[in-house]
Amino acid sequence: MTDAVATREGLRVVGQPIVRHDARDKVAAATAYAADWAMPGMLHGVVLRSPYPSARIVRLDTAKAEAMPGVAVVLTAKDVPRNTLSTDVPGQTTAVGPLRATLHVLAEERVRHQGEPVALLAAETLEQAHAALEAIEVEYDEMRGVFSPDEALASGAPAVHGSGNLLAQWRIARGDVAAAFRDAAVVVEGEYATQMVDAAYLEPESGVAWIDSDGVITIRLSTQVIEHFRDVAEVLQVPQNRVRVIGTYLGGGFGGKEDVTVEAYLGLLALKTGRPVKMVWTRHESLLSRAKRHPYRLRYRTGANARGEIIAQQIELLADAGAYAYLSALVLLYSTVTAAGPYRSPAVEVNARVAYTNNPPTSAMRGFGAMQTVFAYESQMDRVARALGIDPVTIRRLNALRRGDMLPVGQVIETHVAIPELAERAWAALGPPATPRSAQLRVGRGLACNLQPYGRIVWLHDWASAWLGFEMDGSLVVRCGCPDVGGGQASSLCQIAAEVLGVSLARISVHVSDSALTPLAGTTTASRQLYMSGNAVLKTAHELRAQLLGVAATILGVDADTLDMNDDHVVTADGRTLPMSRLLSECARASVPRSHLGVYHAPAGEPVDLARGSGKVFPDYTFGAHAAEVEVDIETGVVRVLRFAAAHDVGRAINPQSVEGQIQGGAVQGLGYGLMEEVVLEHGINLTTSFATYLIPTAADVPDVRAVVVESGEGLGPFNARGIGEPPIGPPAAAIANAIEHATGVRITRLPITAERVARGLGLLD
Amino acid sequence: MHPFEYAAPETLDDALSLLREHGDEAKVLSGGQSLIPILHYRLARPRVVIDINALPLGDIAVRDGRIGIGALVRYHRLEESAELARHCPVLAEAARLIGNVRVRTLGTLGGSLAHADPAAELPAVMTALDARLGVASASGRRTVAARDFFTGPLTTVLAADEVVTGVEVPAMSAHGWAVEELSRRAGDFAIVAVVALIGLDRRGHVDDARVAFGGVGDRPVHAGAAEDALRGREPTAEVLARAAQAARDTLAPPTDAFVSGAYRRHVAGVLCRRALTRAVERARR
Amino acid sequence: MIARLVLNGRPREVDVRPNQTLLELLRDTLGIFDVKEGCDEGVCGVCTVLLDGRPASSCLVLAAGLRGRAVLTLRGLERDGGLHPLQEAFIRHGAVQCGFCTPGMLLTTLAFLEREPHPDREAIRAALEGNLCRCTGYTKIVDAVEAYVRAHD
Repeated sequence: MTDAVATREGLRVVGQPIVRHDARDKVAAATAYAADWAMPGMLHGVVLRSPYPSARIVRLDTAKAEAMPGVAVVLTAKDVPRNTLSTDVPGQTTAVGPLRATLHVLAEERVRHQGEPVALLAAETLEQAHAALEAIEVEYDEMRGVFSPDEALASGAPAVHGSGNLLAQWRIARGDVAAAFRDAAVVVEGEYATQMVDAAYLEPESGVAWIDSDGVITIRLSTQVIEHFRDVAEVLQVPQNRVRVIGTYLGGGFGGKEDVTVEAYLGLLALKTGRPVKMVWTRHESLLSRAKRHPYRLRYRTGANARGEIIAQQIELLADAGAYAYLSALVLLYSTVTAAGPYRSPAVEVNARVAYTNNPPTSAMRGFGAMQTVFAYESQMDRVARALGIDPVTIRRLNALRRGDMLPVGQVIETHVAIPELAERAWAALGPPATPRSAQLRVGRGLACNLQPYGRIVWLHDWASAWLGFEMDGSLVVRCGCPDVGGGQASSLCQIAAEVLGVSLARISVHVSDSALTPLAGTTTASRQLYMSGNAVLKTAHELRAQLLGVAATILGVDADTLDMNDDHVVTADGRTLPMSRLLSECARASVPRSHLGVYHAPAGEPVDLARGSGKVFPDYTFGAHAAEVEVDIETGVVRVLRFAAAHDVGRAINPQSVEGQIQGGAVQGLGYGLMEEVVLEHGINLTTSFATYLIPTAADVPDVRAVVVESGEGLGPFNARGIGEPPIGPPAAAIANAIEHATGVRITRLPITAERVARGLGLLD
Repeated sequence: MHPFEYAAPETLDDALSLLREHGDEAKVLSGGQSLIPILHYRLARPRVVIDINALPLGDIAVRDGRIGIGALVRYHRLEESAELARHCPVLAEAARLIGNVRVRTLGTLGGSLAHADPAAELPAVMTALDARLGVASASGRRTVAARDFFTGPLTTVLAADEVVTGVEVPAMSAHGWAVEELSRRAGDFAIVAVVALIGLDRRGHVDDARVAFGGVGDRPVHAGAAEDALRGREPTAEVLARAAQAARDTLAPPTDAFVSGAYRRHVAGVLCRRALTRAVERARR
Repeated sequence: MIARLVLNGRPREVDVRPNQTLLELLRDTLGIFDVKEGCDEGVCGVCTVLLDGRPASSCLVLAAGLRGRAVLTLRGLERDGGLHPLQEAFIRHGAVQCGFCTPGMLLTTLAFLEREPHPDREAIRAALEGNLCRCTGYTKIVDAVEAYVRAHD
């Protein structure tokens, strides 16, 4: 199903669809996920959560709970050594500046969202823990809350926190928008709304903590960020080197395991009881209280000339941060920078705001703000095309950014932009159009393109490290702090090491995601991990290679730069070979290290003033185009996706099968966003706290996704790869909306696109 | 789950005396596909769970033009039974639509009827079929018409000490049948479900019509208006459309956070017309 | 209470609480992590076992009510310490990403193929409708099952 066009350039391992080492364990259920862990004397921890979205805690009495059978400890805010968690940029050690992102581990006098944690306890059995939870006496005094950003920003609105409810604001202004609109041949105005959704990974938040023989508080959990050991140390007021986070292979992350989840509670309970403690959130708990994706209102005014070139964009974004800031300011920044899409726009104005409400908090989720804007800018693009009688592929080709063009934020695109090719190939991959199967069905096609940043904002000075070392028998160990969320992160590192050092994959073992034992590589988020830890392993491998080949050159009597490493041997230009084991003995004799610790520093930049400056924000972008064919039942509004193609330029596919898997999985998550997923809130009360009400796509809801993998050979990652974790989630919703308009003439501007919304658009309920 | 006592009687009499003893402090467990999630979510906390899976209530028997189906017959058996395929194929079609494959392994007919989810398929089927439900308690047995059995959302005429022992439906192998359903996602609860059975006389006119809706109210709705609009008539497209409209016009479905009443009503009309059309096609074969 | 079951071919009698589910029996008492906990309501499928050969949600079965029934988990598929060909097909076709849905997918597929040995892609999708996956988008899972079906025709 792939159309990868790889320029192999003699690559042996990179570019091959190798079987991932973790796949074998996973099919045998041999992988120990975070909840698949038990220790002697282990207690079970549970959290008491507020049922109210906005209330004062008048009385909190844990005496009865403490007396219940099996209870080891009951904790409230006063028992937390430092009751504050700060969300800076996870994993970074450089100062970022205040994001106003703090929250309490356990609520103090106020709760600001339904599900906010109020108390914490541990008991011998889970049953006893739940019984004791119900014995905690809490009296709440409900307070007036605000449940939409508009409500929150209206004058006189109650403040969710100390100061006003406007959390962050970003603005871009480039060119003369007013003049450009006067010159426009067509102006399209649209207001779009995207909904709150949940990451809905199948593995709930889980972990086990214990104190090891050296007094190190060890937390083994499912997380995208092992650097949270620092946050836990802060909370517990212990030195940072006395907390260790072991990240397990995740059962899905998608940004939902980017913030601190169970680790602070586990650390507290282990410290207070001196015993191992396990905490596994129920699905209900996870859906209720875990941070979600920001819902947006997006107002677009788009002007184009008669040829179809976009000449003006006026964009207003309003997002809901929920009760706590978490990463909201950054999410909004991503939206602001990508608001005009992968297109040239000489005159652009973007005003973006995010406000506190008493809704569940919103934070990181796959796409991170650059996803919501796709629905708006691609709907606009299609409407402009329709107004001018231009087809969807042509209008994108006409407007696509090119190398050397500047984004509205002032960043010059330095790499190839494959949008025209991607659009054509995605469209062509749909094949011949389907004919409607019966009289009440209509068939239509839609296209949507996107850009998604990969790599962290350049002024955050991102870095990642890795350690590679040979054992005496020539087998290789890779150690890297990179959490594996299931996308083959760890496996890619092995491929890169194998390529550079000529070691067969079967002779490489990899250790990831342990804050005490693996060199830190930062978060598995922001589509940054292949770029960063991949480059770290690449750099380290090259440095180690140079170290070893220096010795080999002496043994073989040739220049080091004429030597190759292949098939567990060093090879000369004239075909002589030296087994690695022999080389390594020589290294030992010559006191040359057989291992190396390397650090990769991403090219950094200085913070830009968005409204005035011209500067780099993100290292680079991944571009994509998705095409959908849908069938609409014009009597009921039911939409069926018949065919779907997703094309991305990934620079180089380190593992083509993994790349296809990311594209297909991201596209289906995007289809869920487009068609059925929604966190439904009523005055801050969450009505979708089970998998019976929060719906994610099943195998019967989506067609095959035809992944079209394009390799431009240009990207900042190892072997010129680009990040592919997030990009595929962006286009599907817009592709579906565009296809529905093509099929029926109805333009849906709110997500999710339910059958009822389509029915209303068709006038069926008038 | 909260702690509870567990009993697994082997005879119906034992089960009934346990129910008599514990009344509304007990819950009956058959398939568990509805009850256990309720217990996990702590929405109910019975002191006693009475597991009736060992009772001999799992038979399907055809006699004198009527089919007896025991309360413990699992959904997958309704799907796969050769006898039901021959004598009551609408049941097989409905069972196929229930939940997912795992629900169909364990879920039971009796459990579905006693649970009385207004969106469930089997209550609507039994309403359409004008089935008779066998109900037992320690005081004796009684028969309740399906059309009288459901009294509200998750509520039936069952007293706290009563269980459904089985249903009796007419064998209608000459009838055409259809089940139409619309849900928000594959395998999800139905937003609207329609069950239709049509019998044609020798002239090809409708001499029997049975139509019921699920998901449009707080209980299954017997679409008497549609049946009246069909009886005695030649089932042309126009007649079927008007019957569907008549049925739709009697409905006032609720609006909830996910779906509006207006949409349910509109869909009910469309699906009713489609179900009637398919049922007529089948009746003609 | 005593739970009686035949687990992966071996008869077992285990002490259980009345409110203990089969899932909890397997994971907490017997240390068998072939089954996972995902939703506690029978929707996600990660707790799937085969009960007398049919897929069932072990989170919805009370252990005390098993009455000697046969329960199959993933390790029950092992042949001489090796993987079942369907497991090999999943590996080969990239049908495994985070792996959390994988055991449930495998068991459900095998039970389905016993009843319908020659399904097309649409039938495979319908058969797996009750097993949620959040990572793969399902295409490669269907590829793997289709390849296995072809190889065993």
